[in-house]
Amino acid sequence: MTSPAWQRRRTAARDLWREFRTNRGGLVGLCVLAAIVVLAVLAPLITDESGLDVISATGTPLQPPSGEYWLGTDVDGRSVLLLTFWGARVSLLVGFAATVLSVFIGTLVGIVAAHFQGWPSAVLLRVTDFFLVLPSLVLAIALSSVLTKGVWTIVLAIGVTSWPSTARLVRAQTLTIESRPYIERAKALGGGHAHLIGKHVLPAVLPLVLANTTLVVGSSIIAESTLSFLGLGDPTSVSWGSMLQTALSSGAVTAGAWWYLLPPGLAIVVIVLSFTLVGRALETVLNPRLKAGR
Amino acid sequence: MSQLLELRNLGVTYSTGGEAVQAVRGVNLALAPGETLGIAGESGSGKSTVALSVLRLLPRSANVTGEILLDGEDVTTMRWGRLRAVRWSSASVVFQGAMHALNPVRRVGEQIAEPIRLHTDLPEPKVRARVTELLEQVDLPSEKARSYPHELSGGQKQRVMIAMALACEPRLILADEPTTALDVIVQAQVLALLGELVAERGIGLVLITHDLSVLAATCRRIAVMYRGEVVEEGPGDEVMARPRHEHTRALAAAFPTVGDPASRFAPATANPLPPEPDRATPDEETPGLLAARDLRVTFRDRRGEAVHAVAGVDLDVRRDEIVALVGQSGSGKTTLARTLLGLQRPTAGSVLYDGRLVPTSSAGLKEYRRQVQLVLQDPASALNPRHTVYEAVAEGPRIHGLTGDERSLVLEALAAAELRPAETYLSRLPHELSGGQRQRVVIAGALALRPSVLVADEPVASLDASVRGEILGLLLRLRRELGLAALVITHDLGLAWNIADRVAVMYRGELVEVGPVEQVLLEPRHEYTKSLLAALPTGTARASERGV
Repeated sequence: MTSPAWQRRRTAARDLWREFRTNRGGLVGLCVLAAIVVLAVLAPLITDESGLDVISATGTPLQPPSGEYWLGTDVDGRSVLLLTFWGARVSLLVGFAATVLSVFIGTLVGIVAAHFQGWPSAVLLRVTDFFLVLPSLVLAIALSSVLTKGVWTIVLAIGVTSWPSTARLVRAQTLTIESRPYIERAKALGGGHAHLIGKHVLPAVLPLVLANTTLVVGSSIIAESTLSFLGLGDPTSVSWGSMLQTALSSGAVTAGAWWYLLPPGLAIVVIVLSFTLVGRALETVLNPRLKAGR
Repeated sequence: MSQLLELRNLGVTYSTGGEAVQAVRGVNLALAPGETLGIAGESGSGKSTVALSVLRLLPRSANVTGEILLDGEDVTTMRWGRLRAVRWSSASVVFQGAMHALNPVRRVGEQIAEPIRLHTDLPEPKVRARVTELLEQVDLPSEKARSYPHELSGGQKQRVMIAMALACEPRLILADEPTTALDVIVQAQVLALLGELVAERGIGLVLITHDLSVLAATCRRIAVMYRGEVVEEGPGDEVMARPRHEHTRALAAAFPTVGDPASRFAPATANPLPPEPDRATPDEETPGLLAARDLRVTFRDRRGEAVHAVAGVDLDVRRDEIVALVGQSGSGKTTLARTLLGLQRPTAGSVLYDGRLVPTSSAGLKEYRRQVQLVLQDPASALNPRHTVYEAVAEGPRIHGLTGDERSLVLEALAAAELRPAETYLSRLPHELSGGQRQRVVIAGALALRPSVLVADEPVASLDASVRGEILGLLLRLRRELGLAALVITHDLGLAWNIADRVAVMYRGELVEVGPVEQVLLEPRHEYTKSLLAALPTGTARASERGV
């Protein structure tokens, strides 16, 4: 690309950040997310991984919160704080990776299906319908039992099964955008498919995709926990989902061990909330109409 | 005689986001039964706010001061129950835009019956009889009660709206732009219908519109609003003939009288037009720069039946001339324009540019589009709301990879479209511009490619009256200064009279009459052209003068 175009993009990015900074909710969400991500990445440096080992666990099972174990212990006598800390790594990784995969497939299929009329659109829509009517959990289970067990299998299973709703959404939005007269104007100016999609459709669809992404991250984290519970996850790693499920299956809940249940649950709530705040703030920045209303 | 409606020192202030905007200031108006009062003004002049305030239909953010006396009773102090009773049974509204004011999923008969059921305890058979009677009053067959809104034409929907307004036999009807979206012929019918109702039943009619000629045709008295105030009020013919306020003059000039030599090649614009350059006398034999030869476009409707949108059209747009394509909506004008631009594939026939067939390959079309450019009807939606003026104008040159300094190219195009000083517009977004400025940006975007033909689809239909003349002046100036040919699609014969060299009249997919403006508009040969000309509001004015 020529340099003026890049310069324009750099200024656009700078403007976007300046606008974003004025949105308090978005800023809070971003800070929380950044804190969680940094802590998750730095976990091996600031904590002792050996505490996750069932054999070398030091505490007694289901010990309530105390000075030694701030959030109590689990059924195996491990620190819940440490587990939540490390669980963030797997949950975030699977959540992000599966979302990226799902949103990428969904956006691509959605835009292509809406932009190109005729048989490509018909074929893509039928494929989308096929995935939409297929129970995604069953498909994910089937996929992860056929493939080798591990985190990336779960990412693939969630990503491949959760894109159809994004595709439908993006297709609907693309059709709305493409009916606007400025698309006709761009065509009359001589713009090709790449120009129309890149300059007009994608920027208009992006806010929706971003908002959708926040939801997909949440549902991906939940899907990951479901698969982990069914024994399809990586048994060697701890995630928030598997913590919740162990808490339920081991009778920790009936024993009144709220400290085992709450931390992973609240962690999921906080992370989904942060994503929503950031997504909404970004949407406000990207959509000039919303900006004018404030 | 007691007044039916009296506004005393009416003021309306909208408070949005901590800011108070005074929409209406010190308006005093009165209307007696059997009278018609026209309120004219541009968008934002507060004319619709006045209408809505009569029935207290304004949003919560509006603060109303002054008195609104409906039959001597002040609407502003009415209790809720009384207000509900007054709404529709004493005064009713014909809303703007019939296509959006009707519920699309209910039959129109049901919608007409709704106010009757709400306000009276008539038994069901009587309600139905009343609906039939109302439909007859507005000249619709009674079977239409079973239709859904989408099955009716624009004029029929507007009649349904009027039938709804009449449902409870109100004494006052407020019609807010009742004919704006309609064709001239339908407009004439709707206005005649409203006029008859006033004469026969002695109701009062308040007609609100931006088109002074419509008011002149139907209203005994006219009030002109400008920035929330009534700047001029008086008998209709006097206001039209001798406007005192300059805003009234601007409004009156924006809608020229066809056949008036003073407005020929003289749209209402503040900037002087350049003199007519020496043009070679048009040769009937030379093929146009852009030409259609036996062009046909056929669509299939939902039942699979063929609809001939364009049925064998031969049209030439020569260098250095403006051709106006006139016709009703649904006559195939827009389809013809899209086909000329290569946005729609013709079923048969051909489009020629400079004597050569317009290519169908995407690379060939891209090259063709540097020469022939489009200006759309609604500038509000023709610009991507996310793109700045700079990006919108630079879009074409970027697509075509034009060499040279992009910034100076954009500035040049903006200056050519008379956005001055051009620098101040570069970083603005479309929603920060007025309608006229937006349309200029669209034109600048087309000019940036230095085309030789401009196809403009209703370029001023969605603009205010005072802006209309400026945009038309711009098109005429571009033709005179740059020799830019244009095909202007319009339903407005006055526009053709203002700027066009030749007129092509389109009716049901065919060109029924093509020729120089003076010949076609002053001595029409085809029946359809004659009926179009007869339906112009100035024509009805004369008819109603005889009738009254």
